[in-house]
Amino acid sequence: MARLLVQLKLHLLRNALRSSAGAKVGFIASTIGAGLVAAGAFAILALLRGNAASVYLTSVIFTVFAFGWLMLPLLAFGLDGTLDPATLALYPLRTRPLAVGLLAASATGAWPLANVLGLLGVTVGLASDGFGLLVAVLAVLLQVLFCITLARFVTTGMAGVLRSRRGRDLAIFLVIPLFALYEAFAQLVPRLSAEGKLTPASFAGVDAWLRWLPPGLAAHAIRDASTGHPGTALLRLALLAGVIVVLGWLWVGSLRRALVTADASTQGSAVRAARLPFAGYGLRGTVAARFWVYQRRDPLSLMYWGVTPVIMLAASVSTITTPRYLVGVLLSAAFAGAFVGFFHSNSIAMSGPGFAVEAVALTGRRALRAYFTGQNIALGIIGVPLLAVVSFGIAAVAGHPVNGFLGLAVDLAGLGAGLAMSNILTVGLAYPVEKRAGSPAPRPADGFAGHPLGGTLSCLAVVGITLIPVIVACLTTHGAPAGIRMPLLVLGAAGYGLALVWAGMRIAAATAAQKLPELTQIAIRSKL
Amino acid sequence: MGQPAIAVHVLRKSFGTKEAVAGIDLEIAAGSFAGLVGPNGAGKTTSLSMMTGLLRPDAGQVVINGLDVWADPVAAKAIIGVVPSEARLFERLSGEELLEYAGRLHGLPAGEARSRAEQLLNVLDLAEDARRLVADYSTGMRRKASLGCALIHNPMVLFLDEPLEGVDPVSGDVIRRLLTRFVRSGSTVLFSSHVMELVEQVCDHVSIIDKGHIVMTGTIDQVRGGKTLQQAFIDLVGARAADEEVLSWLGSSSS
Repeated sequence: MARLLVQLKLHLLRNALRSSAGAKVGFIASTIGAGLVAAGAFAILALLRGNAASVYLTSVIFTVFAFGWLMLPLLAFGLDGTLDPATLALYPLRTRPLAVGLLAASATGAWPLANVLGLLGVTVGLASDGFGLLVAVLAVLLQVLFCITLARFVTTGMAGVLRSRRGRDLAIFLVIPLFALYEAFAQLVPRLSAEGKLTPASFAGVDAWLRWLPPGLAAHAIRDASTGHPGTALLRLALLAGVIVVLGWLWVGSLRRALVTADASTQGSAVRAARLPFAGYGLRGTVAARFWVYQRRDPLSLMYWGVTPVIMLAASVSTITTPRYLVGVLLSAAFAGAFVGFFHSNSIAMSGPGFAVEAVALTGRRALRAYFTGQNIALGIIGVPLLAVVSFGIAAVAGHPVNGFLGLAVDLAGLGAGLAMSNILTVGLAYPVEKRAGSPAPRPADGFAGHPLGGTLSCLAVVGITLIPVIVACLTTHGAPAGIRMPLLVLGAAGYGLALVWAGMRIAAATAAQKLPELTQIAIRSKL
Repeated sequence: MGQPAIAVHVLRKSFGTKEAVAGIDLEIAAGSFAGLVGPNGAGKTTSLSMMTGLLRPDAGQVVINGLDVWADPVAAKAIIGVVPSEARLFERLSGEELLEYAGRLHGLPAGEARSRAEQLLNVLDLAEDARRLVADYSTGMRRKASLGCALIHNPMVLFLDEPLEGVDPVSGDVIRRLLTRFVRSGSTVLFSSHVMELVEQVCDHVSIIDKGHIVMTGTIDQVRGGKTLQQAFIDLVGARAADEEVLSWLGSSSS
């Protein structure tokens, strides 16, 4: 069984090289990424040799790897066909050999190998003698086995949920904290390190409780073995092995249940609202109602709105506590407008095949103007207050809450420019999207991989250029009394933003009227 | 015959080098229940997409009740309803919201759209699931919701692509009865299918399409020519059975 499942995994990996160009590129990039992670992890762990805090940092690195193994299958469920027990439920297989086979399949591939090779850096960084080396190798193997078993346990236990619509919805939301964590790491770690506030010794506190988790047990076992405490080292390894056995036992039980349990994919709950809002506002209101409902119920839309404040915070975090705080306030608002525009820059294709319902009713410029206006109204209703709150929050943290009005001015103009670009790009740069295994958000269909980049760059460039007059006005009027300056700037920017979004809507409607069947086909091709 | 409800002239569409629809002509009288049958890949969906203004043809003309679909799409689309082969719906709306939305898109006042949505959901046996998200609907429920969207504005001509694919017999019967009632009122239905029994049961007119060509069209009796429709269809498009002798191991008597 183990051999068969390993062969299956190898076939799946090999077939990735035979499929579409996009999948091929993705597979090659992933393999290169695994190689880089292996080399990087090995180098970092090896460089810890002689460092007083080496065991703390090793604990943290081992825990980060385990966290990665835990999170990735939740985001990439379906990427590895051997992860889903439903694919094997049809066959007459006994649970225990199946479990062993699935573990072996999990251990096959570039990433598991990269984990082992990368973590073996501890043989240089933490182990010091023969016994230490032996324990280091054992600890790394047990750590990787723990990661695999943990990932299998979680994915098997949650397979029914992950296969369901709700589970896939929830998986998308994981993107927000992961993106926030990445931004925090990328922005704060270098800064705190440069300021001397983050040193290897800082991890001692974290290690105080990480040492009792399985990855910490592995790291400390190596340290103990290398500092003359063989008994403690072996005890820690035995404890780690015990955790793996318990986890494996739980996993086998979960697998046994999963093979005979129906998933919850069709068990949906009722929605509260029974009627569409904005009933009295014609076609514009009708479309606004649909977009409004989608902004609240579509997990991708919610994810976009969740990521927008993170982008704003990331754009301002490096300057927020410095005298150049205003750069952060204005820059965050500008980025927000550009990204709101980009996130909705393929809205017809992102409507998916359902757009056919709209296409049958939407023909002619007038109807299409109503369509884009309805969309912009729904996005504006959410975007304006959200961006305003974040801008005022950033200004308040900077200690200059009144300057939140400057952020608001840029928010309003930027949102106008962003929505205008979203309308224009929705028509001018439409591309079909597909939800694929391994990606919680839809990705461009084959042959359209460059379109999102084109959309991002266009939004950033156009929003940046159109915001120049507003930013110049904000920066050159600081001598004027705030009571006059702020309202004038906000009102002026709001009018400017409205003019931009009006122009974008007109251009988009005129273009869409000429190519509605083609846009419909793009939407129908989308697989959501 | 008066003005046909659907008139198609030399309709043509190619995808790259493959000619999906090779210049078809078709006329369906008003008040007909017409079927368009053909094997997989014959050009049924492509033809229906072009007839409903969803796919631009390379050449040809489609006239619905005197309105040219491609010259005056606004007017033509106002009088047709479309049920595509894959239920193309807004997954994050509830069934009730979806039908109301479709009605309002067609210009119905909000109150009227709500009231018709409620009635259609009742008739289509979806009332209990009216507040569930379409994303959580089964295939049959999605098909019925799609039919509701196509009917809510009371179209004069209804196009359906494989309407009973994946639908259970009870739901199938509900859909059949609804469509029969719709046609009896003078409206026209054109639907594609590869289930001959269904076409034979409900249609009064049938056209057989194969490899992008209409190979036969007429009343059911004309097309059958004294045989079953299934046999007439196979005779026209050709049997495509592979050599089954190689499967000699298959079956209980083999070991």
